Amino acid sequence: MAIKVGIPRALLYYRLYPLWKTFFNSLGIEVVVSGKTTKKLLKEGLKYAPDETCLSIKVAFGHVQDLMDKVDYLFLPRLVSLERGTYICPKFIGFPDMIRSAFDNLPPLIDTSFNLRKRPSNLFFPMYRIGRVFKKSFLTIHEAYKRALEEESKFLSSLRKGILLPEILYSWEQKRALRPSNPKGNLCIALVGHPYNLYDSFINLDIIKKLKDLGARVITPEMVEPLEIKKETDKIPQEVYWSLGREIVGASFYLLKSKSIDGLIHLGSFGCGPDSFLRELIADRARKHPEIAYLSLILDEHTGEAGVVTRLEAFIDLIERRKMAGRKSQVAGRHLQSDKRQAISH
Amino acid sequence: MDTYLGVDVGSISTNLAVIDEKKKVLAWEYLLTGGRPIEAVQRGLREMEKKLAKELKIKGVGSTGSARHLTGILVGADTVKSEIIAHAVGASQLIPEVKTVFEIGGQDSKIIIVRDGVVVDFAMNTICAAGTGSFLDHQAQRLGVLIEEFGDLALKAEAPTRIAGRCTVFAESDMIHKQQTGHTTENIVAGLCQALVRNYLNNVGKGKEILPPIVFQGGVAANKGMKAAFEEELGYEVIVPEYYHVMGAIGAAILAQETIVQTKKTRFKGFEVSEVDYKTRSFECTGCPNLCEVIEVLMDREVISRWGDRCGKWEVLEK
Repeated sequence: MAIKVGIPRALLYYRLYPLWKTFFNSLGIEVVVSGKTTKKLLKEGLKYAPDETCLSIKVAFGHVQDLMDKVDYLFLPRLVSLERGTYICPKFIGFPDMIRSAFDNLPPLIDTSFNLRKRPSNLFFPMYRIGRVFKKSFLTIHEAYKRALEEESKFLSSLRKGILLPEILYSWEQKRALRPSNPKGNLCIALVGHPYNLYDSFINLDIIKKLKDLGARVITPEMVEPLEIKKETDKIPQEVYWSLGREIVGASFYLLKSKSIDGLIHLGSFGCGPDSFLRELIADRARKHPEIAYLSLILDEHTGEAGVVTRLEAFIDLIERRKMAGRKSQVAGRHLQSDKRQAISH
Repeated sequence: MDTYLGVDVGSISTNLAVIDEKKKVLAWEYLLTGGRPIEAVQRGLREMEKKLAKELKIKGVGSTGSARHLTGILVGADTVKSEIIAHAVGASQLIPEVKTVFEIGGQDSKIIIVRDGVVVDFAMNTICAAGTGSFLDHQAQRLGVLIEEFGDLALKAEAPTRIAGRCTVFAESDMIHKQQTGHTTENIVAGLCQALVRNYLNNVGKGKEILPPIVFQGGVAANKGMKAAFEEELGYEVIVPEYYHVMGAIGAAILAQETIVQTKKTRFKGFEVSEVDYKTRSFECTGCPNLCEVIEVLMDREVISRWGDRCGKWEVLEK
């Protein structure tokens, strides 16, 4: 029977899954992913996770708990840095240790460190160490590594084409044709935030579906070209040193500037340190683009939808009524002007 | 004469308003929801029917407020809109040049930024109720002051006491301390108004472009001390409209009128719905680990609507 390695459906699963899965499968190892987040799974996570961590880490605890009795190894890599000059959030770095101290009877953890801050080309070394856990030869590991990179680049290029991540993962896993469902309408909303908040439909109360139901095409940070992101973040005087944070801020700035969107929603999770900074950076920039509506939502453990639904409905109404008024005023030959002279800021 | 009905069912109060074709308010009704939105709507409809002349015809209905979806099903609303839009539309009707709307209700508060009659930005308070009416209500009880007298008392203050208003719990301990050291009730009451205004502007109003004309509506707008505290803090006149407490309902009625222009025919079930036996009940679905709380609305013991499930399997009603 093949060895089973468990990957929690949380955190950077939503970015690196094609890479990990291809790598393990090419080594002849079976990959087991935890189930989708549910109320019960979250409840388990809350029971075991340290109180002061963020919602996303608490969710990840629930996924580990869901997996631990079903697999031979748990794959919880210690993600320090995945690209030059930036870091992954410190809570990710300590994640394997938090898990060890919280649970008894864990299967062996594969907690290989990934630190590519100085040399991104070093990715092979941690992958090699993972391969050696299973006593595979250098050539076998190298072959698996190459295939994993190929799959990852295919995955990333589908994302850049504007297809939503859950659809890509579904078609990739099920080996089915991609059926992009993003509406083609003329309402376009950018939804920015950490991928594990954007794509965990339980945690975010299915916000992508809600937006699509309201007729909006949804743009996420992964769809923006990395070069454009870099151009924007290079202009910020203080370096944004979180990898995902950099992507979120850069993509937001680019989308605001490009005027290709009608609204921008920042989706943060409760207790996330980086989010509290990113939210302010993005809000500040959004104020300079009054023609684009901006909304900030914070996800919490509560499951009441009313608050989120009210804000989303109002947000979409705001955009549509504004478009309606814009058309009327164009007919009358007027332009929307906002009186900035007496602005007070609080 | 053709008229439009707006129903705003909030956590604390249920408001109804009827307007004519020219958007003039013909009648309004303000009652407490008391945690039973269906009964409140039915009571409101009964009272409203008594007030209206027989020849009036309801041509369209709009619902808003936190129970807007439930209300929409109950009365047969032509449009169901969030309270942000309803309040903004209501304020723009009465004061067409309005640029900022402050709305403070029992459990939530919002700021709406309007330019040229269009909402351009809004914010609502987060889960904490510190910047809302319940903060004042709670402190008034502690002071033994009737909430109705709160505003007049605040206006009598000579030197408002500074009270930390960031958090209701801390505000209370701060207030007790000030009472013990001899501050007068008037000054404390005025200080509470200022604390709430500071809290509102720093949380809900943070980063928003607050420009006059400013309209202040919602239940808390009845409090003259609050109006005075806002004016002092901002340096602008703050307008409390005549129908400050039913602005959401007026907005919903106007939205209904807009909708009817397109749909022509109303779905209004008539004032008779106030006599129909409506009930709600809820159950926990055990179909998957999500354990969704599903809510059912029953009309004469027949289920007419369900919601609350994430997968949508209960939303479809079997006939």
